Amino acid sequence: MARSSFPAEVLTPEGQVWEGEVEMVSTRTLTGSIGVLANHAPLMAMLEPTELRLYKSGSDNPGAGGDVERFAQGEGYLQVVDNSALLIVEDAIRPEDIDRSALESRLKEAEQARDSADEDSEERRRAERDVARAQAFLEIDSGS
Amino acid sequence: MATQKDVKNRISSVKNIQKITKAMEMVAAARLRRAEQRIEHLRPYAQAIRRMTRRTVEAVEKIPSLPLLESHDSEKRVGLLLITGDRGLAGAFNSQIIRAGTRRAGELEGEGKEIAWYASGRRGVSSLTFRGHQVDGAWQGFTDRPAFSDARDIAGDIASQYIDGKVDRVEMIYNGYVSPLTQDVTTDVLLPLKAVEQLLEEDEDAEGETEERESGHKTLWIYEPDPEEILQRLVPDYIEISIYRALLESTASEHGARMTAMRSAQENAGEMIDDLTLEMNRQRQAEITQEIMEVVAGAEGLS
Repeated sequence: MARSSFPAEVLTPEGQVWEGEVEMVSTRTLTGSIGVLANHAPLMAMLEPTELRLYKSGSDNPGAGGDVERFAQGEGYLQVVDNSALLIVEDAIRPEDIDRSALESRLKEAEQARDSADEDSEERRRAERDVARAQAFLEIDSGS
Repeated sequence: MATQKDVKNRISSVKNIQKITKAMEMVAAARLRRAEQRIEHLRPYAQAIRRMTRRTVEAVEKIPSLPLLESHDSEKRVGLLLITGDRGLAGAFNSQIIRAGTRRAGELEGEGKEIAWYASGRRGVSSLTFRGHQVDGAWQGFTDRPAFSDARDIAGDIASQYIDGKVDRVEMIYNGYVSPLTQDVTTDVLLPLKAVEQLLEEDEDAEGETEERESGHKTLWIYEPDPEEILQRLVPDYIEISIYRALLESTASEHGARMTAMRSAQENAGEMIDDLTLEMNRQRQAEITQEIMEVVAGAEGLS
């Protein structure tokens, strides 16, 4: 059975990445994975780096991986109101555009920064965020 | 004295330079258009973040203490972030930033403060090093096309130094983009970030946000996690956005400045070619006269 659809938009600082009708938005908030369907209650959530999936209208069986838009998504926010979803994220990269070698060197750098930073310093927390992002993106790359 | 051939060679080399500058002008014009578009692309994102912040601030019971908003008790060490380009040949684009930075540093040192230097762009980094300053943060290699992740790197480094107390105030100096022909040296205080209330007041002028406010009013929002925590992440986003905008404006300004510089280089080359052509003609005339005189002298010798 086809689910009802609702408009979704993905905004990054470098412009709008995607806009269209979807049946489900699947991403990950600070508290865990989330799938937003139509008529969701107003929601404001903080997003973690993960694979963002937009199940487009007409994909009767989302699990089959049919009509799904995938992105490597950075930190950001998800806002659902008036039956429409707005994703405000720092990065949204198509899996095929992921630059693996750049990410790997990035990860190494961030790990070094983390290990050399003082315990409980902002510098350390920041390096940890960088590590988490690079790891999440690398995982998406090897998964696709 | 230069012979006709020498002058001819010089003319052709100046013509080559003219061609190169023409090409550089065209490249700069194309990049300028792209840079302008990217400034446009940032706007919806920045507005969305601002709207979210306002909503979140309304939802929090008490604004949590955020280290980026608080000024330090004593301002001993002031950071100056200079935003320049990786390449030269853009008129006064880079030098005016360095000059403004050095002047500001002089003022601050006069007040007995220490300076922490930060620079983005190869030109800024190398001129600071050349002047014997120790650079606490250097970012380069992206000024033709800065990505948001570059701004995130800069913001992350500077914000964590601020939070960890290594610097007490940070100012950013960059070429603000006014039009392709004008760049404005702009100095912004990056940290401490203006208080949230002030940020929000400023936004009242932003277009088309009042109706949004009405409809969004009284909606029962689910927050995940609670609004205080969301606010804690939103605040650093402002710094990232400010730096990203400055990088984009600086890039647009750089291409604008290069366009202007290359156009005037072409004009100069044109003038030079005119002068050289005149000299070449004169030279040729002199050579012809010389030959005629020799022929006449030879004929006279025979008679």
